[in-house]
Amino acid sequence: MDKSTPDNSGEFFDQFLDDYYAECDEHLVLIRRALVTLEDEVDTATIDRAVLDNLFRSFHTLKGISGMVGLGAAEQLAHHLESYLRELREGSVVLNASGFESLAAGVSLLENVINARRNDQAIPSIGDMAARLQTATTSAPADTENNAAITRWQIEFTPTADLAARGVNVNSVRARLQEIGELKQAKPIVKGAGEIAFQFILSTNAGQTTLKSFEVDGLVFQAAEEDATAQKIRQPVATLAPSTVVRVDLDRLDELMRIIGELVISRTRLEDQLTELKRSTPPAVWRPLQETSFGIARQLRDLRESVMRVRMVPIGEVFERMTFVVRDLARENGKKILVQLSGGETEIDKFLVERMMEPLLHLVRNAVSHGIETVAEREAQGKQTEGLLSLSAMTAGERIVIKIADDGRGIDRDRVLERASARGLDTGNTQLDDAGLLDLISTPGLSTRDEADRASGRGVGMDVVKNAIEELGGHIWLATKLGEGTTFTIELPLTLAIAEALIVSVDGQRFAVPQSAVREVLEVESTSTNVLENNEIISYRGKVLPLLRLARVFEMNHELGDKFHVLVTGEESNAVGLAVDRIIGQREIVVRAIKDPLAQSKGIAGATELGDQRVVLILDISALRQLAVKSRH
Amino acid sequence: MEPFILFELAGTTYGVRSEFVQQIEMIDDVASVPNAHPAVEGVVLVRGQVIPALNLRTRFGFDKVERNLRSRLVVINNGSRVVGLVVDTAREFIKIAPESIEPPPEALTGLSGKYLEGIASINERMILVLNLDAVLDLDYEVEAALETT
Amino acid sequence: MPDELKMNNILVVDDSPTMRRMVITSLGSLRTVKSTQAGTGLEAIERLAIEPVDLMVLDLNMPDMHGMEVIDFVRRHQSYRNIPIVVLTTKGEEASRTKALEAGATSYLTKPFDPRQLADVVGSLLKTT
Repeated sequence: MDKSTPDNSGEFFDQFLDDYYAECDEHLVLIRRALVTLEDEVDTATIDRAVLDNLFRSFHTLKGISGMVGLGAAEQLAHHLESYLRELREGSVVLNASGFESLAAGVSLLENVINARRNDQAIPSIGDMAARLQTATTSAPADTENNAAITRWQIEFTPTADLAARGVNVNSVRARLQEIGELKQAKPIVKGAGEIAFQFILSTNAGQTTLKSFEVDGLVFQAAEEDATAQKIRQPVATLAPSTVVRVDLDRLDELMRIIGELVISRTRLEDQLTELKRSTPPAVWRPLQETSFGIARQLRDLRESVMRVRMVPIGEVFERMTFVVRDLARENGKKILVQLSGGETEIDKFLVERMMEPLLHLVRNAVSHGIETVAEREAQGKQTEGLLSLSAMTAGERIVIKIADDGRGIDRDRVLERASARGLDTGNTQLDDAGLLDLISTPGLSTRDEADRASGRGVGMDVVKNAIEELGGHIWLATKLGEGTTFTIELPLTLAIAEALIVSVDGQRFAVPQSAVREVLEVESTSTNVLENNEIISYRGKVLPLLRLARVFEMNHELGDKFHVLVTGEESNAVGLAVDRIIGQREIVVRAIKDPLAQSKGIAGATELGDQRVVLILDISALRQLAVKSRH
Repeated sequence: MEPFILFELAGTTYGVRSEFVQQIEMIDDVASVPNAHPAVEGVVLVRGQVIPALNLRTRFGFDKVERNLRSRLVVINNGSRVVGLVVDTAREFIKIAPESIEPPPEALTGLSGKYLEGIASINERMILVLNLDAVLDLDYEVEAALETT
Repeated sequence: MPDELKMNNILVVDDSPTMRRMVITSLGSLRTVKSTQAGTGLEAIERLAIEPVDLMVLDLNMPDMHGMEVIDFVRRHQSYRNIPIVVLTTKGEEASRTKALEAGATSYLTKPFDPRQLADVVGSLLKTT
């Protein structure tokens, strides 16, 4: 018997489980996005047809593929969701608030069912939800709108194998037309000799020159007469992976990145060998070699950036998931919360997104459960009844900054301190600043048992959140004001793996400093330093710059010479100068994590190797600055 | 019979189960890690991975000696952690019957006594079998000290 | 030309890439088969125009053009009207079975489908045409 014909189709389709989960994830992202749009259209008669169509199709596909992998609960649930969508689409019901709630809850349950199967957990029951979705049919039908055209064109495209080979096909043509206007129609037609062509009706304000430029790809344009009967085409606005899209396992990309990392190291070695050759080689021979080496360096950078781009995903997907968590939690807790998202298009490495999911969820949950007050409390304090939770992302150099801010009650320092000392924790001084407060609420075990503590602060699992972020080479800051709200700011590298770095030397030991953390390098004479209130300072651009001697922070028995180098780090107002013996050079480094706790140390972000098999530690500038602040107290 | 890797430290022979030994290396260059535990000499690069080098002499409270050509790094991989042990020398491989490993005698003094799983006597030779979990856990020292008080 | 040398090109049309892979893998047991994919109805018709297709496996619910419209178009076209079309659609749409067959579908299977059954149907349709 043929090997590929199995006896049991259930087992046969198990081989597609990874594909199945990946496609489910993609559809769930599209679904959540569509639901966010729909939420604004509750109780209105003008629901965007394309959104309903896409939602319907996602449920339909989930139903189909869930059935194939034998996940009956997901298949049935998707079927009920699909049926409700069909009613909405056909206009037999209007989307009202309770209908929307059912839809959203159904989607959450669907996600849980799929995840339960993925994690080998018990599949949740769907009976209640199925009934709820079935009764979600009330209200009156809706009217659909009609829109006026600008200029209508009739475009004909005749596909050929040659055009397809050049990437010109019905999908790419349609995408191009959609960029310049609204497609009113797209249909296949048969020409004289049985030749197949596609006819599009486009309504656009683009001029004839734009359209002319398309003619090289075999598109023929002519003005179309106003045709009131032309149907509005169902646009595949958010269809999944056309057949040219390839899904790649993150592990394979990691492997690719590792190989590139090794190439970068080999290139560095080549560069070193070339430098040694320079003395003994005639310039006419040496220079072309050197240029070739530079060429390889540039190409490697391009290659690395291409691979990195493949790994990048917009953080918006994560944000959208958060809005659902907020909605559910807010309802459970009887709160009204407006979620504001910005910077969702900011891209971040897929690996980092996955690792950040839990910590972000945690902070968002805390903000909703413990930060934002109930409607009654807010009214009593003269605040807007609706609480505000904003999630934002932006890039800053090679790092991404994520902010989670609420306008809730803020963290009560006194209560946190009280709890901490009741637990016998050393709270240091009683004038707790935000950084100290964050440290305290991140102490393992603080506030996990006490309800009152939970309400006052956010101690539950903050240690886990902080660790997860720091493990990724990131940092978290807290800003909170009693009665006004709390903001967590998270800074993460955009990607892992390779970075530009300055190589510095202290007492003969080399360290790498990420270029992105350094604003300027100064040469300083030891006579030009001063001491001010226990701080060593130098003047820098007419201001005072606190000096941090690396040898001192690291407790190395070493003093700086008469002349040394200072790396200026940090923003204007809180800039710090890092004093080292000297700068050795600038390199592209492959960042390696230090995994074993024995070798981890505050102020060290990781390690690298510069082509000589010797380990060079990478400094964690933000952590060093924190160390400096602490030692000053 | 179970295979063991033997190494020397301050004139005594120690053994670790060879299933936990990833490789044995000459020690080239160790980058010291600031503010690390005194027994942690620093980090080294092994098979593209950055791992700590733990000096067993310091760990067991013996005098530290300069590294020489005989010094070796015994790379331990217990499935969850990879750590290099700096030892005086390591070059033997031996099979030991489990029943010939006896628990360490109560009277055994010295810091290293706390890190032993047992003692095996093979042909008049005494081999101290290490409890790797205890060796790699730097907090263990404190707990062990607390238990005796 | 001996039969086994002719490779039959099967056009698999479905908007779900996972479903397309499932179909293609199921057909893997047929030795004289190669496959082409399309994710939308328009794309499917484009495929017909630019390469020879011996059989279509078609989903009904797709973006831009419903499977029924695809069947309708293919059956009206003199060069393609004889291509066998196996309609593959999701449970709960049994009502469309009659419609699809009336429109000109050659055979009809419901998802979840049995991979052997699909291979059998496709195999026998290829032999009879």
